[in-house]
Amino acid sequence: MTGIGAAFKLEPKYPEVPYEEKARLFAEIKADARYDDYLYGCYECGICVAACPSARYYDFSPRRIAQAAAREDVELIFEQIQEDIWDCSQCFSCLRCPRGNNPGGIITIMREVAVNNGLDSAREALKGYTRIIYKIMSTGTQVSPDMLQADAFPDWGPTVAATSENLELWRRALPPDTHHTTKTGWQISTKTLVELYLIWHKTGALDLISELDEGLHSLLEEVMEDLLEEEGYEL
Amino acid sequence: MSDTVVVIGGGPAGIEAARNIADLGMKAVLVEERERLGGTPIFESYAALTPHFDDAEEAMDGMIAALAERAGADVRTNSTVTAISGEAGDFVVTVDGPSGSEEVAAGAVVLCTGFTHFDPGRERQIYNYYQYPDVLALQDLEVMLKAHDVRVPSTGKVPERICWVQCVGSRDRNIGNEYCSKVCCGVASKQAIEVRKIAPDSRAYIFYIDMRMYGYWEQQIYWPAQEQYHVQYIKGIITEILEKQGGLIVRGEDTTMGRPMEVAMDMVVLSVGMEPSEGTKTMAGVLGVEQNKYGFIEVARPPLDTVSTNREGIFAAGAALGPADLEDTISSAGAAASKAVALIRRGSPAVV
Repeated sequence: MTGIGAAFKLEPKYPEVPYEEKARLFAEIKADARYDDYLYGCYECGICVAACPSARYYDFSPRRIAQAAAREDVELIFEQIQEDIWDCSQCFSCLRCPRGNNPGGIITIMREVAVNNGLDSAREALKGYTRIIYKIMSTGTQVSPDMLQADAFPDWGPTVAATSENLELWRRALPPDTHHTTKTGWQISTKTLVELYLIWHKTGALDLISELDEGLHSLLEEVMEDLLEEEGYEL
Repeated sequence: MSDTVVVIGGGPAGIEAARNIADLGMKAVLVEERERLGGTPIFESYAALTPHFDDAEEAMDGMIAALAERAGADVRTNSTVTAISGEAGDFVVTVDGPSGSEEVAAGAVVLCTGFTHFDPGRERQIYNYYQYPDVLALQDLEVMLKAHDVRVPSTGKVPERICWVQCVGSRDRNIGNEYCSKVCCGVASKQAIEVRKIAPDSRAYIFYIDMRMYGYWEQQIYWPAQEQYHVQYIKGIITEILEKQGGLIVRGEDTTMGRPMEVAMDMVVLSVGMEPSEGTKTMAGVLGVEQNKYGFIEVARPPLDTVSTNREGIFAAGAALGPADLEDTISSAGAAASKAVALIRRGSPAVV
């Protein structure tokens, strides 16, 4: 690069890959069975951006996602896989599109392609969720009562501290027996866990984790294999 | 009081007006300057009509054949109207034709002299229409589409990348045509579909200010172009076209993406708008009817009377009144015919 432009050359935030690789990723997105139902044509009217909570906080636009896909702009789509798609909260407010597009759904597909291909952006984006992924995949429940600590969740209100002190007692006050738990959101039967672990194994969801976080993967694998072997399953 | 209506101009509006006049029991004298009827769809070699993709020549031949069956319709080709005297109900219209000059007694006149395509080389030369062989106007591409053979003029190859630039000669204060020409969005989209059918490997782009495809044209033209034929609609008008490396570069702003763009094209089609035809301007003078600032015929009592001029007994229809699609044209031709016949039946000018 010569001239004035050189002074303003920005450092790329992610490693550059050949065009063919970007085209391959887009081909994988397009080949998804849901793709044709998620993208028709775009008026560029902006209703999806107006409805999008993430667009208020980030430099993020569901319209640009739909447009890039409609225009088959391979370079821009790759850029979006690296950055934009991780700013979406998957609330699907964008479904109010007058053309019937589903920008959030396109993002779902793009994220799956990013995860399946072990892209750094997916690894980076999911880094903060290790604990939650572990909880969901090992117990089937997400936020558990023992996570309710005042320092971790100050936004949960002024009574959080008092509640977390006598957590077990508070939980016992709940009418359903199944809620008398603190380590999980509710009681989970062994049968449910076995089914869940089999699903993670058979659908490849557990393999996905190995693409993203090897440590987390071995931790989960151990927990799952122990139970499944106990219950008489050969893996 | 004469029971004849003189219709001037043998395009879609004139043919439809004459047919209606004959069907309503009056005599129509249809005066056409050229050697045959059919008007702009025929003389500009239109391929498929917007929005239903009917073959233009077949459609016009059908209209012409239907008119020929009307005994009350007298077609005078190679003829022009050169003078008019008298007043509503008792005009004398001078028609110059191959066998000399004739004075036709007429109760009313319907002016159907239409439009012409804006000449993209007329004002500013920003698109180099006359310099670059691969810069075309809508009607130039129609000729190729009619032959079912779309080729880049300079190379003879099927285009890989083709774009349309909307609003050329329309909505432009600098040029003086501040109006929207109504049909170009639909015609460009129709053409893009035709090109994508003929050359499925091509990529087609339409650069626009607003897309204006009213009513059912949305579903008939716009959505299919985008959703089935993957025509790319980009909001942003091309500011200039450059010749570079044996092809064309179009420069503009991709406004919704918020970035400037320079895109390579094999072929650029200028979506030229409508201007009053020479015939419309000349006949307005001969008949003494008012024109608006653009030269189209001014209607005297809008909006509930869409066809009466300022001179009683003289009506206008079709694109002589301003930009019009075929549906508008046929509708106004029917309205003008019925008002002309009603005036003669009543024996006095229309009651306002």
